[in-house]
Amino acid sequence: MTPALARFLTRLYPRNWQDRYGKEFEAFLLENGGGVSTVVNVLCSAFSERIFPTRGGKMNPDPIDPMSFGTITKRPSAFIPVAMSLTALTMLAFVLIGEIIQNGHIIREADEGAVAHLWQILMAGQLPVIAFFAIKWLPRAPKPTLLVLALQAFTALASMAPVFLLKL
Amino acid sequence: MRSTRHVVSPENHPDLGHYSDPPLLVLASLASGPKHGHAMIEDIASLSGTRLGPGTLYGAIARLEQQGWIEPLPPEERRQPYRITVDGLRVLRAKLTTLDQFTRAGLKRLEAR
Repeated sequence: MTPALARFLTRLYPRNWQDRYGKEFEAFLLENGGGVSTVVNVLCSAFSERIFPTRGGKMNPDPIDPMSFGTITKRPSAFIPVAMSLTALTMLAFVLIGEIIQNGHIIREADEGAVAHLWQILMAGQLPVIAFFAIKWLPRAPKPTLLVLALQAFTALASMAPVFLLKL
Repeated sequence: MRSTRHVVSPENHPDLGHYSDPPLLVLASLASGPKHGHAMIEDIASLSGTRLGPGTLYGAIARLEQQGWIEPLPPEERRQPYRITVDGLRVLRAKLTTLDQFTRAGLKRLEAR
């Protein structure tokens, strides 16, 4: 099939359909070729699509890329470590602000309190989740996965920073 | 629009012997793993003896995708692979179970004759 014929056949479909499937359909026609029966099949299908459009012509014009940064960020293994780090940081901030308001300075206790234990659990607990996320998603979508891993590392470092900077 | 072509010899398979329900055929093809259009056509031809036309195939793909029963994967060069979703698997299982019950009941009636 010639590129001009493939383009012509694709353009017989409604605009919404073309926006979503036009590019891949044209490539498919070019790759698979076909004779008169293919042309007739596409003509009939395009006509049918105009008469009975898929979802009444209200199809999603731009499908969400399942491997995009936005989609991968929504995976539990992507956002749970970030949430754990932020929870640990918030908890630490509340304790430190409370101590400053109450005593005017930060008290460094030799005995680790409940908050310290919780902080440790939150920070250590996210490691297997991060490992799972990296193993699962790095081979499938390296670039967005690396971005999410960088975000996870940044929030973890942000949570650890006060502990090391203030020597808590 | 359903345009399909017989690809098996009529000697071995009478006219009513092939099955043609493009969306179901696409779901069944994707049940064995992600595929792009050309691979689907070949797989469906070997599975059911029916060769779907490009328009028929993409009509089925569009409807299945818009229903959330299949989803696109990142393109491989110019080819666009698709995979079946969890919902799609559930629908396929339900449809095949119904077909199976229908087939069993039909064969039972034939045996009773």
